[in-house]
Amino acid sequence: MSGFADFWAGRDLWREPMIAGVLAGAILGYIGVFVVLKRMVFVSAALSEIAGVGVAFAFWLGAVMGIDPHAHGTVPLILEPTWFSLIFACLAAALFSLRPGHRKLAPETIVGLGYIIASALVLAILNSPRIAQEAHAVGDILFGNAVTVPRQQIEALLAATVLAVVAHAVFFKELLFVSYDPETAVVQGVGVFRYELLLNLATAVVISVATRAVGALPVFAFSVIPAAAALMITDRIGVTIALAVIFGVVSAALGYYVSWVEQLPTGATMVVVASVFLLPGLAKIVRRSSV
Amino acid sequence: MERAVIGYRTPLLPPIDLAVRANSTLGVLGPNGAGKTALLKALLGLLPLLGGRRVLPLGRTPRVGYVPQRDRLDMSWPLSVLDVVLMGRAPLVGPMKRYGARDRDAARAAMQEIGIGDLADRPLYALSGGQHQKVLIARAIAAEPELLVLDEPTSAMDPAAERVLLDLVARLKSAHNLSVVLVTHQLTAIPGFADEVALIDRERGLFEVGPAEQMLDPEKLGRLYGRVVRFAKVGDKIAILIGDGAPR
Repeated sequence: MSGFADFWAGRDLWREPMIAGVLAGAILGYIGVFVVLKRMVFVSAALSEIAGVGVAFAFWLGAVMGIDPHAHGTVPLILEPTWFSLIFACLAAALFSLRPGHRKLAPETIVGLGYIIASALVLAILNSPRIAQEAHAVGDILFGNAVTVPRQQIEALLAATVLAVVAHAVFFKELLFVSYDPETAVVQGVGVFRYELLLNLATAVVISVATRAVGALPVFAFSVIPAAAALMITDRIGVTIALAVIFGVVSAALGYYVSWVEQLPTGATMVVVASVFLLPGLAKIVRRSSV
Repeated sequence: MERAVIGYRTPLLPPIDLAVRANSTLGVLGPNGAGKTALLKALLGLLPLLGGRRVLPLGRTPRVGYVPQRDRLDMSWPLSVLDVVLMGRAPLVGPMKRYGARDRDAARAAMQEIGIGDLADRPLYALSGGQHQKVLIARAIAAEPELLVLDEPTSAMDPAAERVLLDLVARLKSAHNLSVVLVTHQLTAIPGFADEVALIDRERGLFEVGPAEQMLDPEKLGRLYGRVVRFAKVGDKIAILIGDGAPR
C-alpha cells in the first residue's frame, strides 16, 4: 500500500488525535498573534509548564490519597488532572497580568521565574517515589504525545477553543487596544487590567487544555511559529490572523500525516512542518538585507 | 488638584495646587526626570494622590484625548493608520460592540482634519516620525475629547516641525473648544503656545504655576534648568538663549 493509502486505512486510529492537533493548531495560531506581538512568547512556555505542574500535582495528590488517577470512574472529579492544570495555569495568568511597578522586577522576569519554578516542581514531583509509576504519563503530557487523545480531551479542547474565540470576538477591539497601547487605553478609561486578565486567562485555558491533549512542545510551537510566519509576510492584522490559523491547522494535519508515514515522533514532526512556514518570511528578510 | 501630594511611595514635591481651565492651554515644563510624568498621571487620576484631593468641575472625569510619547509605541504591529485612529473611538463605542460606520466616519474626519486623510490604509511601519505623531493626534481627536493631553509630542522634532505641530494643536484647540495640557522638557515648545505654565523639578523641590507671561521669566527658567537663560525679541517672536554658566 502507498503511504497515503496506508494512512487512510488507519483513519480510525488517527481521527481523534488529528482533530485535537488541528483544533490546537487553529486556536493557538490565532492566540499566537497576540503572544508574539506582545513580545510574550515565554508566557506560553511558562503557562504550558505551569499547567504541567498542575497535572503532576494531581497525580501526586492522588498517590498521597491512595487513588489511581487512571481508574476512570473511581477518581473523584476534584482530583481530575485537567482541573488542576486549568487552575494552576489560570492563577499564573492572573499573576502575569499584574504590573508589579517594581523597577527591578520586569514582567519578563516574573514569567521567567514562573517557568523556572514550574520546571523544577515538575522534576521534583515526577521523581517523587510516591508517583514513580505515573511518571511516564506526566512525561507524555510535558514532552508531547499527540498519538492518542481521549475523546473527553477533544471535548475539553473544543470547549476551550469556543470560550477563547467568543471572548476574543466580543472584546476584540479592547484586547487589541490594550495590547498595542496600554498607556493610552488606561487614560481613555478602557480597563487595561481587566482586558489583560481576560487575554491571559483565555490563553491559559487554551494552553493548559491543549498541553494535556497534544503535549507541551507542539503547544509552545503553535503559539509562536504560525503567528511569527504570518507576521513576516503581511502587514494587515486580519490577514495575519487568517494566515496564522491556516499555518497552525496545516502544520498539525500535515505534521501528523508525515509522522505517521515516516514513523517519526508526532509532536516534533508537527513543529518541523510548522517551521517550513517561516521560510517565505525569512526569504523576504534575506532579500531585503541583500539590497 | 488642591494641596495635592504626588509621588509613588514618598512625596516628590511639597503639596501643590494645579488647575486646568476650560479652553486654556497648560504647559508643564521641566528637565528630564523632573517628575512631569508623575504629575501628569496624578492629574489624570492614574496615580493616587498621597495627600490633598482631585476636584472634577464637571462632576465626572472629562473625556481625554491622549497623545503618548511616540517612541513608546511599537511600529511593527500589522496595523493600518485607520486601525490606530479607530482605537480612539473604543471608549465611545463601549464594550461588546464593534466599530460602526459612524466611528469610521469620525476617524476619517479626524485624519482629514489633521492632514493625513490619504494615509488611512498605510501600514504603521511605513510612516515617518512626523506622520506617526499626526496619527496619534488624529486618534486623540477621534475620541471627541474635552481635554487633550500631549506627552512630549515634539521631543524628536526639528524646530520647524515642532512649530508646525504646535500650530496644528492650537488650531484643533480652537476648533473643538479643547482644554490642552502639554508636557515637555523643551523650552522652545512653550512660548506663544501655553496660556499657563507649570514649572516642575523634583530634584530642586521646585513647583510653580502661573500665567505664561509671568512664568516665562529668564530668572525662573534659569533656576529650573540650572543654566543662564536670556530672552531676545526678534520681530514679534521671542528667542530663548541658553548660556553656558549656572545662574547666579
